[in-house]
Amino acid sequence: MAKTAIHAEDLVKIYANNFKALNGISLSVEDGKTFALVGPNGAGKTTLIRILTTQIRPSSGNAFVEDLNVLTQDDEIRRIISYVPQEISVWTDLSGYENLLIYAKIFGIQKEERKKRIDEVLNKMGLYSVKDEMVRYYSGGMMRRLEIACALLTKPRILFLDEPTIGLDPAARKVVWDELKSFKEEYGITIFFTTHYMDEADMYADEIALINRGELIKKGNPEELKGLIGGEIIQLELDGYDEEILYKIRELDFVNEVFREGNEIRIVTKGKGLELFDFLDFIKRLGIKIKKISLKQVSLDDVFLKYAGSSIEARGRAVEVARVRSRIRKA
Amino acid sequence: MNIIEVLRYMGVMMELEFRRIMHDRTELYTRAIQPILWLVLYGTVMSIVRAIPTGNVSYIAYITPGILLQSTTFVSVFFGLQMVWERESGVLKKLLTTPLPRSSIVIGRSMAAGIRSLFQILLIVPVAMLLGVQFINVAFFILSVLIIFLVSGGFASLSIIIASFMKTRERFMGIGQAITMPLFFASNALYPVELMPKAIQYFAYFNPMSYAVSATRALMITGDLSTLLFDILAIMIFDIIIFIFASLAFKRIIE
Repeated sequence: MAKTAIHAEDLVKIYANNFKALNGISLSVEDGKTFALVGPNGAGKTTLIRILTTQIRPSSGNAFVEDLNVLTQDDEIRRIISYVPQEISVWTDLSGYENLLIYAKIFGIQKEERKKRIDEVLNKMGLYSVKDEMVRYYSGGMMRRLEIACALLTKPRILFLDEPTIGLDPAARKVVWDELKSFKEEYGITIFFTTHYMDEADMYADEIALINRGELIKKGNPEELKGLIGGEIIQLELDGYDEEILYKIRELDFVNEVFREGNEIRIVTKGKGLELFDFLDFIKRLGIKIKKISLKQVSLDDVFLKYAGSSIEARGRAVEVARVRSRIRKA
Repeated sequence: MNIIEVLRYMGVMMELEFRRIMHDRTELYTRAIQPILWLVLYGTVMSIVRAIPTGNVSYIAYITPGILLQSTTFVSVFFGLQMVWERESGVLKKLLTTPLPRSSIVIGRSMAAGIRSLFQILLIVPVAMLLGVQFINVAFFILSVLIIFLVSGGFASLSIIIASFMKTRERFMGIGQAITMPLFFASNALYPVELMPKAIQYFAYFNPMSYAVSATRALMITGDLSTLLFDILAIMIFDIIIFIFASLAFKRIIE
């Protein structure tokens, strides 16, 4: 069996105001994997990451980071991990180089080693050319890459990232992840990150845990999770239909589930085959006209929707906008 | 608590402050306006009135150490209160996951306030000299700067304790004033303690500012070192007690 990088057992966290952020979460992360904790805002993602990074203590339960106990061996854990919080964690009134220098000194990296390591992470994160500019003039993506550079200075064994690409545009998100992936390949570190971008988890994570209201909903690799739903989704609008047609569709052997949202019918198929053609044949035989039809891959959001009863994307937006604004204000 | 780690981190935090000040000096200058006005306007006028007995030194010379301390205390108190801000920013969270002992985060942060204080002294002292204040000698002056440095750290920690009770960053200015003004007026900064009503005199005896003023006035102006050791001892005790409480209060800031 592969080594375990992170192991959580029945973690519960109740804050002073009686808010129950975690309600008994257990999970394990294999060494060297990229693990995504996915859920809407307020699901408990940040609380879990703060417990694992030994910032706060759980109300009950326990967790281990590389077999070190978060309750009793927190000092040792802090020597092998690095963490990038959701909020800005660099000094915006210093240059990028100075930020890395201060962090290098905080971590006690020896003088001879310092310059070499700083140059290395600056190059890795593609920031060498802007190293002497004030961080407040950096773009959001550059700031994030600097924060990750600060986290990588110590060559951690496990890297914790809390919403690493929040508020970044898709191009900037891709750059951040490309740099992370190349670093991971080189040093074989474990990455544990939280996100409410489903596509991000889908694209970059080896393993995903979906959480909602402080509870683990489902866990697995992206394909397994999407497999829980079925193959593909056929979305269509028909020119007049009744419950009987819906019933007939439901009875088809390749159909997993049928939902109706207004005029739109969503059909979840069982496997990844040529079911769309079979379906078109079937509709033709019934003699019904199709107004609109499209085929869509199952996304993790569909999985979340099924097991949590609400869509993560829809809930995320408004909160995110507010948060991004406050990020900008603070910078 | 590992002393070497704490000292090392203190050094790093001071370097951080130094670098920030070098990049943006506006705040430094604006914060120097008030104390300079105290010396130039209040000091000059009160010297003419001669209402306060100051022995054989001029009134401006008498209040210079107090004004320096008032200015540095104000800077330190605000510096500590800013931790409320940082609670919401990522820097503090990130520092918590580094191998540093937690107490060193508080103490390092407090002593970095001393760096800002040093810059205040650099701006105010030349003005005092232009007004005719004579300092005894360089060695004594440097020693008094060290004392101000220590006191600044203590006051920054005091404000960290208060900050830990604050839920939001509003009322920031008000709280800053509410801490510094009583410390300043109920001390021997502007007038001898003996001139105060009895009740306030008692407060002044527990006011660390009084001991700081007494020590720096001895070293900068009067040269009468008879109470110096006792004053320094009082300041050290204040610092140690306040550092311990601030480290405890820090827990509340994290959660």
